[in-house]
Amino acid sequence: MNSAIFGSARAASSNLNGLAELLREAVVEVRSGELGSGTGIIWGGAGLIVTNAHCVRRGSSLEVDANGKWREARALAYHPQHDLALIAAPSVTGPMLEVRDPESLRAGELVFAHGHPLGVRDALAMGVIHTVARDRSKSPRWVVADVRLAPGNSGGPLVDAEGRLVGINSMVVNGLGVAIPSTLVQQFVERALAQRAA
Amino acid sequence: MSASASGAASALSELSSQLASAVQAAGNSIVAIHARRRIPSSGVIWRDGVVVSASHTVRSEGEISITLPNGDSAKATIAGRDTATDLIVLRINGNATVKAAPRGDYSSLRVGTLVLAVGRPGKNVSASFGIVSAVGEGWRTWQGARIDRVLRLDLAVYDGFSGGPLVDAGGGVLAINNSALARGTPLALPAQAVDRVVEELLERGHVRRPFIGVAVQPVALSAALSKQHQISGDSGLMIVSIADNSPAEKGGILLGDLLLEAGGQRLSRPDDLLDALASKQGEPISLRILRGGVLKTISITPADRGERE
Repeated sequence: MNSAIFGSARAASSNLNGLAELLREAVVEVRSGELGSGTGIIWGGAGLIVTNAHCVRRGSSLEVDANGKWREARALAYHPQHDLALIAAPSVTGPMLEVRDPESLRAGELVFAHGHPLGVRDALAMGVIHTVARDRSKSPRWVVADVRLAPGNSGGPLVDAEGRLVGINSMVVNGLGVAIPSTLVQQFVERALAQRAA
Repeated sequence: MSASASGAASALSELSSQLASAVQAAGNSIVAIHARRRIPSSGVIWRDGVVVSASHTVRSEGEISITLPNGDSAKATIAGRDTATDLIVLRINGNATVKAAPRGDYSSLRVGTLVLAVGRPGKNVSASFGIVSAVGEGWRTWQGARIDRVLRLDLAVYDGFSGGPLVDAGGGVLAINNSALARGTPLALPAQAVDRVVEELLERGHVRRPFIGVAVQPVALSAALSKQHQISGDSGLMIVSIADNSPAEKGGILLGDLLLEAGGQRLSRPDDLLDALASKQGEPISLRILRGGVLKTISITPADRGERE
């Protein structure tokens, strides 16, 4: 079984390069006041970016860096319980990651975390799904992964082997990476935009 | 509008789905063991109705509740435990039918082999992923058990993972994970070593560990002394204490005796004595000693330490 995998290791590795490339284009660095930096995910073509609420201090200046250029941004909406924030940086563009419902995740599936841990730009970490923790209504509440995260990964994407977003990395508990399920992120953005439109 | 890592991702997603299937396959033979506070530990269905886990995770001695892979609860009793290898064997009460874990191909295992640690620290199966980082030969645990091979792992053995299986990319069991045996370093005991302990525990409830009841200290021998008594090697083991009522005391060993050979094997390190004793399960062993400048041979029948524990 293992030999088959070693045979495809090279192919997998070149896939990884492609994956890293995609993620580099789809994320930004977020800096707010004295908070240090976090990671943000480009969400659609209108300069929308999703990150963790704890990366965006209310009332502080907010900047995002895409392709080496810092641009001013502003916060549009927060969801403190889910630790999410939606920000707008109109001139920032990039591909939007396809969203995958974490409902279908299986323990052991490969996942990748992209971000700027400890200020290191565009670092990629590999791991596997540890478990998907659920709330009382049995829907996914946390995506828990055996993947190494550090401060600066916050707000960054956790993607599957095909580069589909399964969660937003938010914290480390007992050495395990904990991410907010992509479906909750999607809900948050839809509601925030609907409210603004109304 | 949205993007993914395009069609070329096949090798990666194939690997990913294979790993997830491996976890699922292994999970069908992993139980949760509720025998300590806080987080339950993991156990593997080793054969019909027999569960193997890590001894340190099972704090209670009586009937133990376990959660089967299908979510059902069951009771189990301890068939035996071996603290030296930190293994415990449980028998599931009643007639719960859970299939034994499939075995992996141990012969293909090398440093760098992709492996998964799978556990059930609760209701669901969870996993971590890494490689075998070293294969240790002839390792002795701090409790004195000799293990031919031990796997050092570059992966995280999370809370509740001890006692669970290390599986290959096909989901076959290669070893049992343990985070306590090397005091925090993640390692795994190969299935063959586990088999031997399981056999003994099922047969007699403990693992036989022959001992004679002495503490020894390696000492250097002078060249003249070695030459005079035609001793090969330049060191021996000085007896520095003898346990009460031990085979050594009954056999007439005295403090200050210098042990040179046991069962025909030269002794220069304390481990040599343990190895010599282990090779003489239940039979008398002849000890060659130097006492007051005179060579003597004494025959001693080792006792079974496992029985006393």
